Amino acid sequence: MNFITSTRAELLKTKRSAAFWLSVLGALFIPAIFFLMYYFKPEVFIPMLKEDPWRIHFIRGWQSLSAFLLPMFIILICSLIPQIEFKNNTWKQVFASPQSYGNIFFSKFLTIHLMILFCFLLFTLFMIFSALLVNLFNNKFSFSDNSIDFAALFKLIFKTYVSILGISAIQYWLSLRFKNFIAPIGIGLGFLITSLIIMQWEHIFKVPYAFPILTLSSAMNNAGKWLENHELNSIGYFVVFTFIAFLDLKFRKEKG
Amino acid sequence: MTNSKIIETNNLSFSFKKGSKTLDNVNMSVTAGSIYGFLGPNGAGKTTTLRLLIGLLRNQHGSIKLFGQEFYQHRLEVLKKTGSLIEQPSLYQHLTAKENLEVYRGIYDCEKKRIGEVLELVDLNKTGSKKTKQFSLGMKQRLSIAVALLHNPELLILDEPTNGLDPNGIIETRELLKKMNRENGTTILVSSHLLPEVEKMASHVGIIHQGKLLFQGSLPELQLLKKKQTILEIETNDLPRTMDILKSKFEIQHSANIVLIPFKDNATNAAINKMLVEQGIDVYSIHSRHSDLEQLFMDITANNI
Repeated sequence: MNFITSTRAELLKTKRSAAFWLSVLGALFIPAIFFLMYYFKPEVFIPMLKEDPWRIHFIRGWQSLSAFLLPMFIILICSLIPQIEFKNNTWKQVFASPQSYGNIFFSKFLTIHLMILFCFLLFTLFMIFSALLVNLFNNKFSFSDNSIDFAALFKLIFKTYVSILGISAIQYWLSLRFKNFIAPIGIGLGFLITSLIIMQWEHIFKVPYAFPILTLSSAMNNAGKWLENHELNSIGYFVVFTFIAFLDLKFRKEKG
Repeated sequence: MTNSKIIETNNLSFSFKKGSKTLDNVNMSVTAGSIYGFLGPNGAGKTTTLRLLIGLLRNQHGSIKLFGQEFYQHRLEVLKKTGSLIEQPSLYQHLTAKENLEVYRGIYDCEKKRIGEVLELVDLNKTGSKKTKQFSLGMKQRLSIAVALLHNPELLILDEPTNGLDPNGIIETRELLKKMNRENGTTILVSSHLLPEVEKMASHVGIIHQGKLLFQGSLPELQLLKKKQTILEIETNDLPRTMDILKSKFEIQHSANIVLIPFKDNATNAAINKMLVEQGIDVYSIHSRHSDLEQLFMDITANNI
């Protein structure tokens, strides 16, 4: 009950915040570009999307998202939500209110994850909408003749979500540590670019910032497994770094 | 609850860096129903003390009791009954006044109508959809006070609540706090670096300087102390005889080769000088010396607005 109250307060704080708009615009970006591409270059995309249009549409959408934008979005959202407190000098009021450290920490983390899931949901809806819309303007597209394989779509989203768990915990910790939001974003971006460079490394499945891409390539190969090794690693990173971040917050000498 | 201690610290010490103590054995004691003015120049340790009291700093040495309970063991219970405003306003700038209060309403488990009540109390009930970032500093400060008052706390801890307010705002805030204290029996701990400000509202005063609590007592006790503080130092060639001559008329003390007597006025200084010279004593110097506390008062009162 207290935890729900704390989370409700956290969600209220995101109203009109940069974090909220980032989730909406982040979700809108790729579907909008896809719509424009399909609309202006039907000669390229109609043949490409001839067979199994929804699957190709979604895979291509998540592909564009997962490589760079998604980890970047996670880095930004994990920073923006704690930034609400830093920027407004409100940590002190939060810590002086009757909430346990656990509630403070986990309600904020849950809010971050609700924002991520909100963005995923919006992205999926915008992807469906952009395809249907282009089909409305140009009936040579075959989206309306085919049905969406929601089970496969859900699996893709689920696996992508699992793949970002590790990054989210690391970034949340960094964002709680540093008052200056440039620090966690810079560090996260550094890790992300490094991961992209070392993509061929045989131990890449241990590098959290590479997990979304690994998930996508495994999803495209139709491997069928619900949790790949790197996705299990992602859960491992998530548990370890969430624990570290919580202890760090709880035992910090100066709060707020 | 009368006469029971709402806040009690025992040998509270704190240092940010090793070797320099920000707080040094502070024994603060705040009685239920009082308005405790916590006075000291900037950097004396006021904010550090207040932050320790509500757990924003980890206690290093000594103990803190609020409502008679050890703070760290009963953090949530104690915080439920406490409202606070530490340093500058802490508000969500992208939210309206109402939304800012709504954030805390659930946490403190208050009824919805309470938001309207506190907004009216601080005269911000007509701000509507205006975002807090568009507020003036005075309005922000008042909204912060509203946040602190939201759950009708038994104890209010306010750090320089009149900072940045215009004279009118200062008077209104003062009246508001007095009213809270009078009508609801709210115990208020309010820090300030202005002696006149504290004198106008406090029933009790604590004075902190360089991390040490130099004085703690009721307002009348403070005023009594203020008068007694200046001391006259007399240096002569013959200490025993000087003391002999003066002891019939004055309360005297001596330290090393100096005679100390309470300062009265300049005419008395002249009379003492004359008396000693007439008795054939060489007077090297006579001057009045402010005690540390007096110097502190000077510092505090010099900052008058």
